Amino acid sequence: MTAVPGPVAVPDSTGSTFALLRELRRGRGRKQAASIAFWIYLGLFTAAVWGGSLIVAAYRALRHPPPATAASLRWLHATPAGLTALALLVLLALLRDALWRGPVTVPGATVDWLLGTPVHRDRLLRPSFRRSAAGMVLAGAAVGIVPAATLVALGLGGRDGGDVLRLTGTGMLSGALLFAVGAGLAGLAERYPVTWPWVRRATPVAVAAAAGLAGLAAWAALGALPAAVGAVVLWSGPWGWAAQGLTALAAHGAQAAQPAPWWPVGTGLLAVAALAAVAAAQRAAAGVPAAALRARARTLGAMSAAALSMNTRGVATAYTAAGSRPRRARLRLPAPRRRHLVLLWRDLLALARSPSRLVAAVALAWLAVGLIAVASHGRQVSLVPIGCALILGYLAAAWLCEGARLDADDPRRSAQLPFRFESLAWWHAAVPCLVLLAAAGLPAVAACLATGDPRPLALLAVSVPVLVAGALVNVFRPPLTPGMFAGAETPVGNTAVLNIIFWYAWGTLLAVVPMTVLLSSAIRSPGPGSLARAVVIGAGLAAVLAAYAARRAGGLRTG
Amino acid sequence: MAQLLLQLTGASRSYGDRAALCPTDLSVAAGQCVAVLGVNGSGKSTLLRLAAGRDRPTTGQVTYAGRVMTEDDLVARTEIAVVGDLASAYPDLTVREHLLLVAVAHGAGRAAGGQVDRALQECRLDGHRDALPGSLSSGQLQALQLAAVLVRPRRLLVLDEPEQRLDPGARRWLAGLLSGEKAAGAALLVATHHTELALAIADHAVVLSDGAVIAEGPPRVALAAVQ
Repeated sequence: MTAVPGPVAVPDSTGSTFALLRELRRGRGRKQAASIAFWIYLGLFTAAVWGGSLIVAAYRALRHPPPATAASLRWLHATPAGLTALALLVLLALLRDALWRGPVTVPGATVDWLLGTPVHRDRLLRPSFRRSAAGMVLAGAAVGIVPAATLVALGLGGRDGGDVLRLTGTGMLSGALLFAVGAGLAGLAERYPVTWPWVRRATPVAVAAAAGLAGLAAWAALGALPAAVGAVVLWSGPWGWAAQGLTALAAHGAQAAQPAPWWPVGTGLLAVAALAAVAAAQRAAAGVPAAALRARARTLGAMSAAALSMNTRGVATAYTAAGSRPRRARLRLPAPRRRHLVLLWRDLLALARSPSRLVAAVALAWLAVGLIAVASHGRQVSLVPIGCALILGYLAAAWLCEGARLDADDPRRSAQLPFRFESLAWWHAAVPCLVLLAAAGLPAVAACLATGDPRPLALLAVSVPVLVAGALVNVFRPPLTPGMFAGAETPVGNTAVLNIIFWYAWGTLLAVVPMTVLLSSAIRSPGPGSLARAVVIGAGLAAVLAAYAARRAGGLRTG
Repeated sequence: MAQLLLQLTGASRSYGDRAALCPTDLSVAAGQCVAVLGVNGSGKSTLLRLAAGRDRPTTGQVTYAGRVMTEDDLVARTEIAVVGDLASAYPDLTVREHLLLVAVAHGAGRAAGGQVDRALQECRLDGHRDALPGSLSSGQLQALQLAAVLVRPRRLLVLDEPEQRLDPGARRWLAGLLSGEKAAGAALLVATHHTELALAIADHAVVLSDGAVIAEGPPRVALAAVQ
């Protein structure tokens, strides 16, 4: 075929193209079906083996649901606004899905080889929407079990198994219909890119509305919310309609006044909205722009590759990149003159360019300090709150290790720097330590001034380096190997799950477990001996963990 | 006079406050080749994305044969061949099957097999006809994209650095191929770093710098103006 100077007639090639694809893939379909059947079998087998006790517990709960108590009535009062808030957040999440993923998605190869041809796109894109919508409806039905089970556990499941089954069925129906509305709206949003800025703008409004509804739920639980407000909430839109069925059956179960007497009408309205949204999106699916499909295919390709190698950081990076636009760095820091300060400068820039990390880390640090302060007040210092506080502190440290992560993501990035890759781990510890000490130091200093006891500052000074070093151990974790997934057979079972857990959380465990024991011991015994022991052992632990992180970094560099 | 096929009128593209392409006028007629030159980041790819309908201009307008340009338009999909970044490929289809798919989708029917075999030979992929994409080098994947252009009808070719990943011999072959396309009446818009290629095939050259046209005219004149 040669270039043509005149107009080309649009061919009717859709049927023949799909026939060719079927022919080329004959035989491969059977293999694909066998693979799907294997995964279904594996899923059912796993559910039967691991979910057995859960199923037995659920069966017992079905037969004898917990009776309603005085607290149950409070929960019942909170149900209309609480469930409406949840439904609103679910709908928002489904709608935001349209900004980066679907529901209409096709593989990158289809985008590059078929969308640029004159085949009718409805044959490609409508089935994709139908598959996504069906999957979302099934997911919605599964998600609907959660609020129903929660209501049963709160004593609002009724008197017998029949009541529980009705409640669960209604939850599943409402969940499925709500997800269908979400799939339809997301499909329409994906079709019309002009709606994307509106979805972004609506996000904080919807979150604020959900927070307001949560406030109403708390008011209803603690005081008396006027019935009219509850009615307005339940009829305020699909989110309220989705909450009506569960609310009504929970009230019936508790033999209380009915807050949603017209719930079949509400559920009917939700069903009509779901049908209308899905039908409109199914019609619109054929017109989803190729540019949107190309961007989504690229994002999903990157995310799948990262997910298959269990690279959660890669998944998050692909997700962030999906919504980002080309931007310029606005904040600048003057570069240092001394060569050894350059990595500190580089890490400060990394934090300054993602300020949300800094804010989250400071908030987590304050939470950790608050939790330790509360735990230290009682006579008995329990390990659990201290451990939880240290996990929060560890998370804060991990958020602050962005500079180290950027190097670990691709060791070639630091190839031009005059430092050995192993030594980078030590340098990358400086900024997170300084920031965490400053953030957590403020409340610690306040506590010292209030009580006249300098111990909190000393304990903070020794905990922070340990947590940061633990975070760096995780940052420089080696790549997963097939052997870790295979595991080893032992008398108590296969070690594959343990391998993966330790691969992910090794640094966390090494930092948090010994520090929990040291901190609780130091807080429990006010003498100087326990404090000195905590400081000395903590400093040693920090050095050992940092050396271990450096060794891991070296391994990453050499591959 | 040859029919004007592609026309950019005051077309610009900005990302936030950054202008990737300043308002630009450009037209390509049937049987004409326009080369777009410039250093990395000068706006060549942005201009070509607008020309291929893969992006919308922030201001101005891009038209193809009098219609507002969008890659979703059926006429554009039928008549415009685009070679851009390295495309993804079906992992389960061979080189020949990829080309068959494109030929059939463009209505080649029973003639598809013959067209594909000719294109394979033309693009030096004959020895790889049954290879799966995973076993091809990046240069061979680029040749596969160029072969896909040859098995479909085309009035306008939009090619973003088609010479990339090709060895010197393949580049000479490419220059001959594109000259043939031009002689057959196709309009060509080619972004390239390869001045020899531009001099060999282009009737008109546009030189971009920081998103703005800094020189244009016959290729030798435009290149001389910026050197």
